[in-house]
Amino acid sequence: MTEEAKQMIAYILERIRKPTLAIDENTALVSSGIVDSMALGDLLLKLEDLTNTRIRPGAVKPKDMDTVAKMFTTAARVGKPRK
Amino acid sequence: MAGVPYKTLIDALHAAPAERPFVTEWVNEDEQETVTFGEFRARARAQAARLRAHGVEPGDRVVIIMPQGIAAMTVFAGAMLAAAAPAFIAYPNDKVEAAKYRSGLAGVTANLKAKVVVIDDEFPEEMREHVRVGDGSVVVRAGRKDEDELGDSDGSDSANLDSQKSASRKFDSQEFDPRQIDSGSVAFIQHSAGTTGLQKGVALTHAAVLRQLDHLAKALSIESRDRIYSWLPLYHDMGLIACFMLPMVYHLPLVMQSPIDWVMVPETMLAAISQHKCTLAWMPNFAFQFIPRRTRPDRRAEYDLSSVRALINCSEPVRARSMREFEEAFAGIGLKSDALQSSYAMAENVFAVTQSPLGAQGPPRLWADAKEFRGAARIREVQEQAAQSVEFVSSGRLLPNHEIRIVADDGKQLEDGRVGEILVKSDCLFEGYYNRPDLTAEAIVAGWYHTGDLGFCWEQELYVVGRKKDLIIVGGENLYPQDIEEIAGRHAAVHDGRVIAMGLYNPSLGTEEIVVVAEVENEALLDKAEQIEREIREQVAAGMGVTVPTIFLKPPKWIVKSTAGKAARSSTLEKLGREHPEWEVD
Repeated sequence: MTEEAKQMIAYILERIRKPTLAIDENTALVSSGIVDSMALGDLLLKLEDLTNTRIRPGAVKPKDMDTVAKMFTTAARVGKPRK
Repeated sequence: MAGVPYKTLIDALHAAPAERPFVTEWVNEDEQETVTFGEFRARARAQAARLRAHGVEPGDRVVIIMPQGIAAMTVFAGAMLAAAAPAFIAYPNDKVEAAKYRSGLAGVTANLKAKVVVIDDEFPEEMREHVRVGDGSVVVRAGRKDEDELGDSDGSDSANLDSQKSASRKFDSQEFDPRQIDSGSVAFIQHSAGTTGLQKGVALTHAAVLRQLDHLAKALSIESRDRIYSWLPLYHDMGLIACFMLPMVYHLPLVMQSPIDWVMVPETMLAAISQHKCTLAWMPNFAFQFIPRRTRPDRRAEYDLSSVRALINCSEPVRARSMREFEEAFAGIGLKSDALQSSYAMAENVFAVTQSPLGAQGPPRLWADAKEFRGAARIREVQEQAAQSVEFVSSGRLLPNHEIRIVADDGKQLEDGRVGEILVKSDCLFEGYYNRPDLTAEAIVAGWYHTGDLGFCWEQELYVVGRKKDLIIVGGENLYPQDIEEIAGRHAAVHDGRVIAMGLYNPSLGTEEIVVVAEVENEALLDKAEQIEREIREQVAAGMGVTVPTIFLKPPKWIVKSTAGKAARSSTLEKLGREHPEWEVD
């Protein structure tokens, strides 16, 4: 697991106020109800920070953020390097 | 702008200038589609012809389950043009369990006895198999880009072969003469709860909707230069009335984006408003905090809110802190100091009951003694920011031909400054819940609609403080605790009937969060609390599409019961507050 993925997991646990919950890169987050749609905006901002990209509105759907692994795949696919 | 000169909503659409832009479906600054009123009208007529071909007759109900967009809107308008009564239902999302969705959908279609259920061509296949309609009803697909019009019936569900054959016949302009639609006929049905499971269908006539729009347009001083922005779902009254019917009747451009796209990147609202110089928008209280907190300060300068005349806080109690946060965040990019306004609205009244006057410095704020408010349900004004005080923001003043009463539990009318249930009477009030005389009799008594909301009047302003009912509002979405309790109570570790769900206001989110308190069957199960919590959370998410951030698993007999043997919500909440002071449950 990359350092960025670890940081994202730590952020998610902090965001959902469940520090002891076991989450790995492939844990379903949105479809399982661990993370709701209102938290996705925060996760997207964090993802932009961790990947130093800007992600185009409309290019990402909730299913693209369902696991930490998918988040980073999505950023690589649609993120543009920050100026 | 003068009053509404139309007899029906379709009259208004018919009268719109053909070349004037109507709906812009906004994805980002470069990707968007705009239809003019002329194009929208033509598509609506084509949809009307298809609906007729599928057997829809005047007065029939048409259920529309499509993603937010022009295609869904043209089907809706097409149904009205065919003199049918359309109803938007929430589109399924990937968190909703098929069984729950099917159950909710079956409830709606059974109650409405829908002749046609329209789904889009990307409707999830696993959900599609659960769409069930009665004899003589059909499910049809419509393309998202609706130049395709309505497709043929899906064969598996009572598909009418004759109607499939006739679906290809040409549109006959004489068939949809708007003059044939009666102003007293039902224009559409909107639902008082946004989820699919709880269905109180509010049937509204053309005349009632037009009266509401006339009042609203005057209160907002609507002008032809106005342009509305919206991310609000069309199955919600804010989205349907303020952001679809209002621009349709007053021939205003509308810039609309998907609620899902908005929630993923909330600052897109700023981008859309800036690009199209929008002047009006509505949103629930939580969004006034949600947007500034998710817009990087270094990006704010990219946007310009100077075009906004009014950004109206509606559908949740208005919180001063949320309004302040939005104002402080965006004053530097042109947001006018008087742009943030408020309204009290409900589907049962078509939409707005009150509106804060535009041009004033926003809705009045009132500081009251907290102890008297909480202990005696009475308002005693105190100095701004006084110790032990509560701040309220007005929801505005009554629209013309509207009356309210504040009443105590015994029905006695209360004077100004006393908190009680808000009753509403108006010239656009609904006549009852569709096919539900039982619910109607409970809700409308002697011409007054009992809202279930708590509030008070002060100097001709209405202040809404909460809900008498136990409704939970999360991000503007109404959730009934019984639904959550039912799902949580199914878990094998949870004692039957020993679950309470409630909404607790989270100041950092600006909206309520769901909290579930559940008793386990035996104390030993508390050792597996994390696993049980996770399973309950997953089940609620699957069943209702919502997240339960906090679950308190408690030993047997922990929940306080009433003398009638039912779980006592308020007493249990007090107990929770004593044991978990960090949750500020007062």
